[in-house]
Amino acid sequence: MNTAATATHCPYCALQCGMNLVPQDGLLTVASRDFPTNKGGLCQKGWNATELLAHPERLTTPLIRDHKGADLRPVSWEVALDRIAQEFQECQERYGHDAVGVFGGGGLTNEKAYLLGKFARVALRTPHIDYNGRFCMSSAAAAGNKAFGLDRGLPFPLEDIPGAEVILLIGSNVAETMPPIMQYFDEQKRRGGKLIVVDPRTTPTAKAATLHLQNTPGTDLALANGLLHIAARDRLLDKDFIQQRTGGYEEVRRVIASYWPDRVERMTGVPVQQMVEAAHLLGKASTAMVLTARGAEQQSKGTATVLAFINLALALGKVGKPHCGYGCITGQGNGQGGREHGQKADQLPGYRKIDNPEHRAHIAAVWGIDAADLPGSGRSAYELLDTMGEAGGVRALLVMASNIVVSAPRASHVQERLDALDFLVVSDLFLSETAQRADVVLPSTQWAEEEGTMTNLEGRVLLRQRATTPAPGVWSDAQILTALAARLGYGKFFTAEPVAIFEELRRASAGGLADYSGITYERIKEKDGVFWPCPSPEHPGTPRLFLDRFATEDGRARFHPVRHQAAGEEPDDEYPLYLTTGRVMSHYQSGAQTRRVKALREAVREPFVEIHPTLASHFEINEGDSVQLTTRRGTAEVKARLTAAIRQDTLFVPFHWGGRGRANLLTNPALDPTSKMPEFKVCAVRLEKLARHQ
Amino acid sequence: MTSKQTSKQRLVVIGNGMAGARAVEDILTRGGSEQFEITVFGEEPHGSYNRILLSSVLSGAQDMQDIYLNPIEWYQENNITLRAGVRVTAIDRATKQVSTANGDVVPYDKLLIATGSRPFVPPMEGLDMADGKRKPGVFVFRTLDDCTRIASYATKCKRAVVIGGGLLGLEAARGLLNYGAQVHVVHLATHLMEQQLDADAGAILKGTMEKMGVQLHLQKITTAILGEDMVTGLSFKDGSTLDCDMVVISCGIKPNNELAAECGLKVERAIVVDDQMRSVDDPDVYVVGECAQHRGRVYGLVTPLWDQAQVLANHLTGFDPEAAYTGSKLATKLKVMGVELASMGITGPANEGDEVVQIAEPQRGTYKKMVIRDNKLVGAILLGDLSKAAPLMQAFDKNTLLPEDRLSLLLDFDTSTKTKQMTMLEMPDEARVCNCNNVTKGEIRRCVLGGQHSLKGVMAATRAGTGCGSCKMLVQDIVEWASEGHLDADAAEDAGASNTALTTGAGRIPLGMAPIATQDMRGLTPTELRKIADLAERCNAPTVRITDGYNVDLLGAKKDGLLAIWDQLS
Repeated sequence: MNTAATATHCPYCALQCGMNLVPQDGLLTVASRDFPTNKGGLCQKGWNATELLAHPERLTTPLIRDHKGADLRPVSWEVALDRIAQEFQECQERYGHDAVGVFGGGGLTNEKAYLLGKFARVALRTPHIDYNGRFCMSSAAAAGNKAFGLDRGLPFPLEDIPGAEVILLIGSNVAETMPPIMQYFDEQKRRGGKLIVVDPRTTPTAKAATLHLQNTPGTDLALANGLLHIAARDRLLDKDFIQQRTGGYEEVRRVIASYWPDRVERMTGVPVQQMVEAAHLLGKASTAMVLTARGAEQQSKGTATVLAFINLALALGKVGKPHCGYGCITGQGNGQGGREHGQKADQLPGYRKIDNPEHRAHIAAVWGIDAADLPGSGRSAYELLDTMGEAGGVRALLVMASNIVVSAPRASHVQERLDALDFLVVSDLFLSETAQRADVVLPSTQWAEEEGTMTNLEGRVLLRQRATTPAPGVWSDAQILTALAARLGYGKFFTAEPVAIFEELRRASAGGLADYSGITYERIKEKDGVFWPCPSPEHPGTPRLFLDRFATEDGRARFHPVRHQAAGEEPDDEYPLYLTTGRVMSHYQSGAQTRRVKALREAVREPFVEIHPTLASHFEINEGDSVQLTTRRGTAEVKARLTAAIRQDTLFVPFHWGGRGRANLLTNPALDPTSKMPEFKVCAVRLEKLARHQ
Repeated sequence: MTSKQTSKQRLVVIGNGMAGARAVEDILTRGGSEQFEITVFGEEPHGSYNRILLSSVLSGAQDMQDIYLNPIEWYQENNITLRAGVRVTAIDRATKQVSTANGDVVPYDKLLIATGSRPFVPPMEGLDMADGKRKPGVFVFRTLDDCTRIASYATKCKRAVVIGGGLLGLEAARGLLNYGAQVHVVHLATHLMEQQLDADAGAILKGTMEKMGVQLHLQKITTAILGEDMVTGLSFKDGSTLDCDMVVISCGIKPNNELAAECGLKVERAIVVDDQMRSVDDPDVYVVGECAQHRGRVYGLVTPLWDQAQVLANHLTGFDPEAAYTGSKLATKLKVMGVELASMGITGPANEGDEVVQIAEPQRGTYKKMVIRDNKLVGAILLGDLSKAAPLMQAFDKNTLLPEDRLSLLLDFDTSTKTKQMTMLEMPDEARVCNCNNVTKGEIRRCVLGGQHSLKGVMAATRAGTGCGSCKMLVQDIVEWASEGHLDADAAEDAGASNTALTTGAGRIPLGMAPIATQDMRGLTPTELRKIADLAERCNAPTVRITDGYNVDLLGAKKDGLLAIWDQLS
């Protein structure tokens, strides 16, 4: 172990706060690092991140299940890897290449995400690879590509945020999910800026807002169209901008003509007066930003919803200018990079498309294979999971860095499908709820034990540096993939060295939309990160996109006419309430990591449901009572938390726990037709009080 | 048997208003263009537009081009044959074809009647000239053309009278005010908008409209329009008259049923339809909009028409063969600048046990009323204050169970949004101070009690203020309060560095005036205040702030002046 501090980043969310890891008494502790994203600040998760390195529950040896029904038992790496290779080969011999699938994670470094995509296509020759990022930013990605020809979380660095006069933040609770980012919003407000938050809940972020629009779940799109209607009516549109830099406004104008304020008020529950105030704040500001997050995106109309807000930003001329723009607050640590480099069923490295012959040829050349051998587009995440073990579905699955038993929608069904597989391999740090069902479990390295790059919400490529040697018996995912590839007869195509993988990734991404070819580890260290696209070593990187032109063929941004439609499931007599899901400050994703950290576990110990006191009184539910929530997918049991911060017709359950309190037992896998995003944020639910246990 | 040119069915739509056009759009979005060759007949020479916003166009609040829904090109883009300005004269259900005024015959497989309605004009003398043409100065308010004609005529008028004090009549009246004419409304009933309001609300609304400059005449039955070549006035059944040079008739609607009646479809008040929006007599004939009578009701508001269009499209295209329309809940708002009015459901108790909650402030022009049945909202009127309209509308639409405290539905007690400033003593121990690191006031207090007396030390020990930093000032105030005069100086210096404010702890200002601000807010003597002011000036602090924690901040004081200040204080 080094004695000096190692400059690296937090392992959790997409902000990728800088931190120093300092050796102390044989362990690592977290110290503040003044990095441009977080300026030294960290939230509770970051400060406690090193606790998991020497955690007693950490996996340190591969585990194997000799046959279905047997217990997991420790084995050597040789035995585990041989078994995996053998099972994959047998499966593919019997059912074809498509019968083996791969499921990745948005926490993997660019190098590992890239290698996993390559492993699926080259060593397994399967089209079926997708990742949990599909559950995260896919709607915003699809909308960004349609409107601007390019998808990058934020088109500007965080430091631009304080310069925006007005910010419209939709479905994002950054004060809890990404706390250190609040310093930018605080500074924006300090300079006299206004923050408008759209959220069905009065979250800490909504409390910090100048104006909070507390809409009905699933009505964000209608709200966006309503705001644009008001802006058009009150002559606040930037006609010059529309004429010079965009296309397609007329079709949008026709659609928004039907979204007059009174109608939108009735649909959304947002008072007309507040809508007018919001539209006027945005329309009269000289600079404004429109930012969406999961609340707007995790809907069966998520892509259309994001497009509606992009329409608003475009019509007001608030895109492609300094201190303006549409952006998505991405979620997972490397959700952004993960989708750029081939972990998505329809994409190849460099944000290339798998159905584009030129793109295929480029990647095949870099990989040294025949383009004809490159599989085509595979199933999206939920579709992949939904068909596991069925005829035509995958029969063997490799899961890396994802806990789908907790995090996928309609979780009990996904769990059944996992159990219907012939063979399941899970690589993880702990025996997660998903790993518990695996035939082979592989222990992998943690962030402080490895090197690699991450791409944060700004499109800033960052360097994760190794601060300590891996725990004994633990391998990196890259080592695992390389060893498996060798057993499958494709060893010569793979290397496990992060820097070597990155060099290959640079070549693979060259000329693509997400061009990393000019980025090196050294440049990242020198410059506190490099923004893509960066097409050559001399290129400074691109902190700000679209200032001159958009990435579409004609350089113009595109309007898209979009209409409100009901959620996949609306409340009815049987399931009379809305259910929405989300996060709490002290936990992250499926909680596989944060539930194992003492301070975080103690901060919020168990799953709960937020209920408005008025609603609770009708059910005679008191604070702390056990309640049962039922949807068409299943039933969950959680503790009641009474709060006036939520609408009376809506319940909120955080999704960080497994077991009976699992929020995703309830959620609806209605998919967005374009992005294939499941509708985590809206479904219909029934509430019942459980009799008190004796 | 001849082979068909195309496998598509022929869908003929009669009417291109809000219901017909919407139905066609809904059919298209459900893949209808694959199944149907669509022909649309519209009497108006335009594409479709949003009639609901006509009064906004009349009042000048909205530009005319903003209300077009589908211009002529839209129909071409979607391969729809639009016969704008062509009137259908007959339907032959036996041969399944329609005939037009210019002699064309168009066959159909499915027919959609969306002929809508026309203004109801009550019988009265002098409406028309001898040649049968309408008398100059007499208008109805229904179409975009009406709107344009009214607007151009109104500029030349001294006094305009609107016959009909319903929703649209009042909107027209308010619109006419903007053209400089004196505006009167004559109304048949005992109060305005009797469909949507009870008598109390009607009376308050009358007052509001009158203050705005609209003169109102209730219980007036117009018997004649006076004037030879143009309007000169009105005469009423009670024998009175009213001079004017313009009349706008807004007395409700009359469904356009004639075509349907002539071809033998069942017509009562309007064309009678089933839950799939088909004529009860012919499964190949759908009906939508103001010309449809569903379960005994004829709707005139746009939302129900769109609900109907959706069901129709789902059923016609097979997108949802089970689709059924079961009726709509009616709610509306008056679009009159300066009047806040919303109404939903019934206007008064109708069943035994219906509960009424009512607040009236006639002086302020405010009136609020709810009708509650089985703990659910079945009717409401809000006048003069719409701050509660959105939640009430949703409770009405969704049958939400209402809280026991009914008044909370009508009044804002302002408890949630603005938290009042509380003192350190009042702030509960479990109040979360630092969101990022989940630190409560109690943890900070205990940390100080445990011996940490510097801000830096407390921050390091509790992590409070080490995330986004927005709570740093509050953390500092708590540390100062909790340390009761034993705050280490480096705390102040540290905060000064990052917040460009220099703070002195409450208990650390001696000079015989300590504490300058106490926890019980004892206050200061003038001498004490003067001393602080002198001090602030000496160290060039432009702003002096009393904090929530009763400390005094000298904002903008130079950090290097810190020691000098301490010296002066001691």
